[in-house]
Amino acid sequence: MSAAPASTATSPPIPARYYPAGGDAHGHAARLSWQDGALHVTVDDLPALTVSAARLRVEARGFNHSQWALNWAGDGHDAPHLLIVDDAVAAPLRAVMPGHFTGGDRQRRGSRHRFGLGVGLLVLLPLLFVAALLLSLDPLTDRVVSHIPPEVERHIGEAVLARTRLEGPLIEAGPAHEALQTIGRRLARPDEALQFHLAERPEINAFAAPGGVVVVNSGLMARAASAEEVAGVLAHEIAHVELRHSLRQIVRSAGLRVIVAALFGDFGALGGGAAQMGELKFSRDAEREADRRALERLAEARIAPHGLLDFFRTLSSLEGGQGTLPALFSTHPANAERIAWIESALARQAPTTVQPLGINWSSIRQIADNASQEKGTRNPKE
Amino acid sequence: MAMDVVDYEIFGNEMQYVEVELDPGEAAIGEAGVMMYMQDGIQMDTIFGDGSAQQGGFFGKLMGAGKRLLTGESLFTTVYHNEGRGKRRVAFAAPYPGKIVPVDLSTVGGTLICQKDSFLAAAKGVSLGIAFQKKIGVGLFGGEGFIMQKLDGDGMAFIHAGGTLMEKTLAPGETLRVDTGCVVAFQPSVDFDIQYAGKIKTALFGGEGLFFATLSGPGKVWLQSLPLSRMADRIVMASRAAGGGGKESGSVLGGIGLGSLLGDDE
Repeated sequence: MSAAPASTATSPPIPARYYPAGGDAHGHAARLSWQDGALHVTVDDLPALTVSAARLRVEARGFNHSQWALNWAGDGHDAPHLLIVDDAVAAPLRAVMPGHFTGGDRQRRGSRHRFGLGVGLLVLLPLLFVAALLLSLDPLTDRVVSHIPPEVERHIGEAVLARTRLEGPLIEAGPAHEALQTIGRRLARPDEALQFHLAERPEINAFAAPGGVVVVNSGLMARAASAEEVAGVLAHEIAHVELRHSLRQIVRSAGLRVIVAALFGDFGALGGGAAQMGELKFSRDAEREADRRALERLAEARIAPHGLLDFFRTLSSLEGGQGTLPALFSTHPANAERIAWIESALARQAPTTVQPLGINWSSIRQIADNASQEKGTRNPKE
Repeated sequence: MAMDVVDYEIFGNEMQYVEVELDPGEAAIGEAGVMMYMQDGIQMDTIFGDGSAQQGGFFGKLMGAGKRLLTGESLFTTVYHNEGRGKRRVAFAAPYPGKIVPVDLSTVGGTLICQKDSFLAAAKGVSLGIAFQKKIGVGLFGGEGFIMQKLDGDGMAFIHAGGTLMEKTLAPGETLRVDTGCVVAFQPSVDFDIQYAGKIKTALFGGEGLFFATLSGPGKVWLQSLPLSRMADRIVMASRAAGGGGKESGSVLGGIGLGSLLGDDE
């Protein structure tokens, strides 16, 4: 029952909990002080204790290692005597026996490092996973596309065509249709199964679907200044078919949807897949490649390759003049840039002999224009 | 730290409420939305943060509020202040079946780590902080998440546990294996860790999950027999609206419906 005299304590006593070896689970409230290289433990109902620093072992423990456990051998007991000291009040003890606390400090640092590492990994791993997926999207797309058989491609093409029919009628006869077929036949190589369709829509647009389906809007026919311009556009779209750009795009967007769905949950509502063919975007590189192939094909078909260039020039003059930006452009590279690269490609190309298409273009234009106008007034653009 | 000493009385068996008696000038803090009734003379005041003395300046208060946001509680705490001349009472009710645990923080060394959302009410001056679980494994699989609540001070605090309460004082080195989710509170001297259940078969079909939570002494621990999440799962499972196999009366198959065939414990 002897409390350590206040005068001998080096500092105000440190509160602690004392668990004597062989004692009960509750332990005793204790006060610690330090003097002459020994720890003095004062407990209310027990005799005071003195433990020399040499006998003490210190380790960090408890929730987040926020406590210090001070042990020393229990006389005759298996378990040691134990003192629990909160880190918040342990500073004076650390000051007098710094060596004892190094191990515990290492423990605490280790757990902090592990925590940082763990949190970092938890955050980074999903990001890395997504990055890897995005990076491998192109090679994966290539692989998947190379495994898609032509029948499937044809089916997709038919589906796209069916949807186009739902959106607006196709012009399946008449001089404008005939003119389109004439140009198409000139461009197609003997082994190619290509279909050319004329849609009754006022927007200046044309698109290619898998399976050799090329759809041209009557609006485009109406604005094109010559048959050669339409031939240029057709050649470009055929190149997209040839390079399987639409198919790649479908596979790619499906892949992206899977990644997005995995990241943010179900995005099924965004779906639609092949149905959105008309709005598919191709990359700048894909467009450039298609333009290059188009020029080759035009030369091969002995159609003046300048048609493609002229078409883009016609479009850029329209773009400046009228308010509605042609739909074809909203998804395509900047017009001026495109004209520039076609010009340079044309300059490099060897001159070829040209056979005129022999179509009375002004009458076709008139017919196509009428079709688009009717369509335009009957069913205004969405 | 000057804490208000409060007298209290707990009523009810499985759905309890605690009635706190405040002397004139005394105050208690309550979690938003748990007040059940209060007598005349008690002023209610909503404060930003937890109203403890440690939160000095504006930033201190902001930090306190931010911590409360992290633990999933409201940014504001309500202080019930006795402005009357005599003793006045205010009652706080538990939000789901279980027990209210009165803890005198001075007897547990001034700090208690508890499950988030378990705080109900306390004497004014008790600070509500967060204790971030720094063991990744425990945070992920320990059933209590990474964020726990830390109560600091030397007054009374009332926390709430689901089902029946088990209170145990662990001797130094004594270890208890606990189903994850059942830990309500413990003293900071207790080591909270996880232990792999050991057998894949047990983990998959035993319904106890892959890990146990382990608590080793010395120190006091409080366990709950029914974590709210478990009860909520059972309710959803039994609910017709949620697509569960809700039946108003016993069917031929009785208790071995689809729900319990597929259902896991947690």
